[in-house]
Amino acid sequence: MAHQAHAYHMVDPSPWPLTGAVAALLLTSGTAIWMHFNSLVLMTLGLVLLLLTMYQWWRDIIREGTFQGHHTPPVQKGLRYGMILFITSEVFFFLGFFWAFYHSSLAPTPELGGCWPPTGITTLDPFEVPLLNTAVLLASGVTVTWAHHSIMEGQRKQAIQSLTLTILLGFYFTFLQAMEYFEAPFTIADGVYGSTFFVATGFHGLHVIIGSTFLAVCLLRQVQFHFTSEHHFGFEAAAWYWHFVDVVWLFLYISIYWWGS
Amino acid sequence: MAEDIQDKLEKYRTAPFDARFPNQNQTRNCWSNYVDYYRCQKALDAKGIDTAPCEWYKRVYKSLCPMSWVQKWDDQREEGTFPGKI
Repeated sequence: MAHQAHAYHMVDPSPWPLTGAVAALLLTSGTAIWMHFNSLVLMTLGLVLLLLTMYQWWRDIIREGTFQGHHTPPVQKGLRYGMILFITSEVFFFLGFFWAFYHSSLAPTPELGGCWPPTGITTLDPFEVPLLNTAVLLASGVTVTWAHHSIMEGQRKQAIQSLTLTILLGFYFTFLQAMEYFEAPFTIADGVYGSTFFVATGFHGLHVIIGSTFLAVCLLRQVQFHFTSEHHFGFEAAAWYWHFVDVVWLFLYISIYWWGS
Repeated sequence: MAEDIQDKLEKYRTAPFDARFPNQNQTRNCWSNYVDYYRCQKALDAKGIDTAPCEWYKRVYKSLCPMSWVQKWDDQREEGTFPGKI
């Protein structure tokens, strides 16, 4: 009797965890080598290996779930827990940067002039591009919800349209933020203001790019009929991640852009 | 009022307890009085009044502040790079 008598997924042996670990090693040591000895080789190698690992590992998961039927309800439940735990860990990641911001801004030191924003810093007007960025992300939250409902209702064309719109809004945010970075009257080297501003908003921007990529993959899959009206967890995970990115922005906007100005 | 100030200045030994700064870290106390002294000077000078009351702040910051800080801030004020609002 050589068949599986349970609903769980015993994954076939895979090289991707190992290549991922090697990529992590090359990236970390490579970054250190780059900073001290001016050589990009190791880091580039690590980056390439990381991209290959991600592509192939996630491709394999799609094959296992969508084409081979291994993602039964219990398995999907596990994937849901996994995504939620991952997003929770990211929440804590950002919490650290908010802690740093509030530590410095609630009790500004004499070096800053005892005030926040520090002496000499011209902050960005929260009611200009940052407000537009807020509207863009909130709108993208609406469109991704529209996409979800379209998928659940079997409306293929609407799902593709709303998902595309969501991704375009994501790109628009990234473009606007890039412009702001270019035009800003202060840099990351401008004291603790610059540090907290660019590290917090910078990591957020990175997460917007990651989220947009995740959604784009979902769009490709939707076009290729991977999702059914009952089973589309990849999309749900992307949508959760996107909402998380939106919420982080709201906290950034209120704390750093508005209160911090 | 002037007599009270002269009285207080004569009786001065060291900075008294200031409830606004109750804890061990007295940085803010030093900073506050340093800045207040020069703000007081600037404000009373502008009105043409005698700046004697300002001497209290000077006594306090001289008692509390590390000399290197006072030196650094005096140099910054000379250069026009002092970060505080005076």
